[in-house]
Amino acid sequence: MLRSVKGVICQGPKLDSGYFLHASARAWLSAAVNQDVQIPAEKPRTVFRTSESNPANHAEQHEGQHYSIPLQEVKVVFPHGLPYRFQMQMKTFNESCLMVRKPALELLGYLKSTNFAHPAIRYVIYGEKGTGKTMTLCHAVHYCAKQDWLVLHIPDAHLWVKNCRELMQSSYNKERFDQPLEASTWLKNFKTSNDHFLKEIKTQQTYMWSKRESTEKGRPLGEVVEQGLTRVKNASDAVGVVLKELKKQCPLGSFRLLVAVDGINALWGRTTLRKKDKSAVSPEELTLVHNLRKMVVNDWNGGAIVTTLSQTGSLFKPRSAYLPHELLGKEGFDTLDPFIPIQVSNYSQREFESCYQYYLDRKWLQHERASTEEGRKELLFLSNSNPWQLERISAYL
Amino acid sequence: MGCPCVVLNTLRLIYTTTAVQKRNVAALGPEKYTEAFIKNQIEEFNLGKRHLANMMGEDPETFTQEDIDKAIVYLFPSGLFEKRARPVMKHPTEIFPKQRAIQWGEDHRPFHFLFYTGKQSFYSLMHEIYGKLLDIQKYQDHLRAQGLLAENRKQINLIGSRWLIKEELEDMLVEKLTDHDYSTCIQLLERLVTLPCCGIEEEYVLKFRKELAIQLKKMVIESLQYDEQGVAFSTGEGKRKTSQATAVVYDNGSGKITVNGVDYLCYFPVMQDREQLMFPFQFLDRLGIHDMVCTVSGGGRSSQAGAIRLASARALCSFITENEVEFLRQAGLLTPDPRIRERKKPGQEGARRKFTWKKR
Repeated sequence: MLRSVKGVICQGPKLDSGYFLHASARAWLSAAVNQDVQIPAEKPRTVFRTSESNPANHAEQHEGQHYSIPLQEVKVVFPHGLPYRFQMQMKTFNESCLMVRKPALELLGYLKSTNFAHPAIRYVIYGEKGTGKTMTLCHAVHYCAKQDWLVLHIPDAHLWVKNCRELMQSSYNKERFDQPLEASTWLKNFKTSNDHFLKEIKTQQTYMWSKRESTEKGRPLGEVVEQGLTRVKNASDAVGVVLKELKKQCPLGSFRLLVAVDGINALWGRTTLRKKDKSAVSPEELTLVHNLRKMVVNDWNGGAIVTTLSQTGSLFKPRSAYLPHELLGKEGFDTLDPFIPIQVSNYSQREFESCYQYYLDRKWLQHERASTEEGRKELLFLSNSNPWQLERISAYL
Repeated sequence: MGCPCVVLNTLRLIYTTTAVQKRNVAALGPEKYTEAFIKNQIEEFNLGKRHLANMMGEDPETFTQEDIDKAIVYLFPSGLFEKRARPVMKHPTEIFPKQRAIQWGEDHRPFHFLFYTGKQSFYSLMHEIYGKLLDIQKYQDHLRAQGLLAENRKQINLIGSRWLIKEELEDMLVEKLTDHDYSTCIQLLERLVTLPCCGIEEEYVLKFRKELAIQLKKMVIESLQYDEQGVAFSTGEGKRKTSQATAVVYDNGSGKITVNGVDYLCYFPVMQDREQLMFPFQFLDRLGIHDMVCTVSGGGRSSQAGAIRLASARALCSFITENEVEFLRQAGLLTPDPRIRERKKPGQEGARRKFTWKKR
C-alpha cells in the first residue's frame, strides 16, 4: 500500500501540494483508505488531488481523487475524445483533471488482466445521463495510450448517423453511402494520436483508389491515411481499409489494439439521414457504420473493445432510457452479446466532496455562500450528486 | 263678484300642462324602511325559521343560522357562480341596510344639536372621544398633585388587535365618512392611547379595536406516525392550480426524494422546480436529514412542484416546534396559492387580451 510519491511533478504550480505529500507520506502509510477523515481540515487540497498521473498505478486508495494529465499529453492522446464541457473547463483551469472512480478502476483492472490470446472482450459502460461514462472511457483510453496500445477512439458514433451535409454514393459498393467530412475529420485525429504506429504497420494488400491512384502492398499505413486526407472522396473507404488492416494484423501480436467507441448504440439505431428520394437511410447503408460494426465483433484477439452507451446524442430514444437492451435494441444487443457491463452511477459522498473541494480550490465557485456548509448541502440537493448537473450548476456560481 | 274668480280659475286652468306629471323617483332617495316594516320582517323571519325547522325535521327551538344555511342550500340548489346571487335566508337586520330614523320631530326641529353639520354621529363621536381625553388628563393632573402618578400607570394592551377600518366605522355610525375624517378619528384615538393613564377608558377604546384572528390555531398539526422499522414519518397534502400532491416525509434519511416512483432529478429536469422542492427543507435547515416519497398528478411541471412544496411543508410541521411552524407560515410555505387560470371572456381573445383593434 505504498503510495508512490513522485517527487517531480509535471505541473508547475502544483509543486507545493507535491512537497506536502512527500513530507507526510509516512503518516498516511498506516491507513490509506479513509484519508479524508484523517487529514486535518486546514489542508483540504490533498483530499481531492493525487500526484499519481499514470493510470496504471491508480488503485483503490486513489478513489475519489483527481489526477491531472499534462496538456501536451492531452493534445496527443485526446485530439477528439473529451466532452465539450470538459474541454471548456480545461481551457479555463489551464489543466485537465480527471477523477478516479470505481467503475474506471474496475475497467482498468480487467484491462490489466486481459489474456491477449483470447478473443477481444467487450466492455459496455452504461448508466444514467450525466454520470460519467465518457469520462470513464477517456480514463481507459489514457491508460492504454500510456501502455503504448494502438487506440482506435471514435469520440461519438452518433455524429456519424445524423446531420451529415454530404452523403455520397460509395464508389466501392453501390448500395452504401459515404460520409467524406466525418471520415476525414476522424482520420486527422487518428493520425495525431497514433502517429508512430502508422509508420510501423504495413499494408498486406494492394488497394486501388481510382484508375491512377493505388496503395501497394507493404506500404506503411500512414500512406492510406494520407490518401484519405488528400482525396476526401475516398476518406470513408480509407477508414474502412485502416480498420480492416488493424483487425487483421492485431492477432499477430506486434501491437495491442483498443477499440474505444462512445455512443455505440448509434450503430444499431436509426439515422436522421435521407436519400435523394426522401426515404430513410438505415445504419447498415453507411460505410463508416458498416466497417465499425465489423470492428466491434469479437472475432479477433490481441486487444479489447470498450464502448459506452449514450442517450444524449441518440436518436428517437426516450430520455429515461439508459439500460443496454433499451438503447441497443434487439439487434445491437445480440451483436454485442456477450459483453461485460460496467455501470456508472452518481457521485458517492466522498466523490461529491472531492469534486466540491476541487471547484473551490480552482475558485470556480465564486458565490460567497458556496463555500459554507449550507451552500454545500444546497449544491448536493440540487444536483443530487449527478456530475453533469453539478458541473452545470457550478458554472452559474 | 263671481266674474274675477272665474277669470282667475280659467287662467290657472290654462297654465297647467295637459301631460301627467311623472313621479321623480330618484329625487326621493333610497326607499326608507319604517320601524314597523322591519319589525314585521323579523316576525316573519322567526316564523319562517320554525317552519323550516319543521320541514327539515329538526327541533325549532335549537335551529341555528348555520342549520338554516344548510337547509336552504339543500332545498334550493343553485348553479350560480356568484355566491351573493344565491338564495339566502338571514335575519332582517343583516339583509336590510341600517338606516337612520327620522332625525326631526313634528315641529321639524332636529333632535341632535349637531344635525346641521351634516355628519352628526361622526362629530358627536369626535366630541365624545375628546371629552374622554380631557377626563384622562384631569385624572392625571389629580394623581400628579397627589404624587401617585408613577405607580398608577395603566396602559391599554393593543397587541393582537387592529383599529376598525373605514368601512367598519361607517357601519357603526350609519353615516358616510371621508378618508380625512377617518384618519382624524384614528389619530385622536392614538393620541388618547399614548397617555399614561388611559386604562380608565379601556373598554371604550376597545370598542374601536378588532381582534386579529390568530391563524395558526386553525391549522391542525398531526402527530408523528411510526412505521415497522420504528422510523418516524408524516404525511401532508398540497394543491396548486390543478395539481394535487401527497408527500410522506421520513426521518433518519439522507435527502433522497422520490416522485411518482422516479428520482426527483429525472422527474424535474428544470432547476427551478428542484429549488421549489428544496425550499421547505432549506428554510428549516434540515436538508440531508429527511427522505421523501411523494405522488403527484395533474397540472404542469411548475404547479406540480408547487403542490409538492406545500405538501412537504405541511408534513414537516409534525417534526418541528410551534415557533418554527409560525416561521413557516410567515414565510408563506403553508399558504395554498389561490391563483387559478382566469376564464376566457366572450368578445376577447383570451382572459385579458383583446382582439386586434382596427381603426376602420
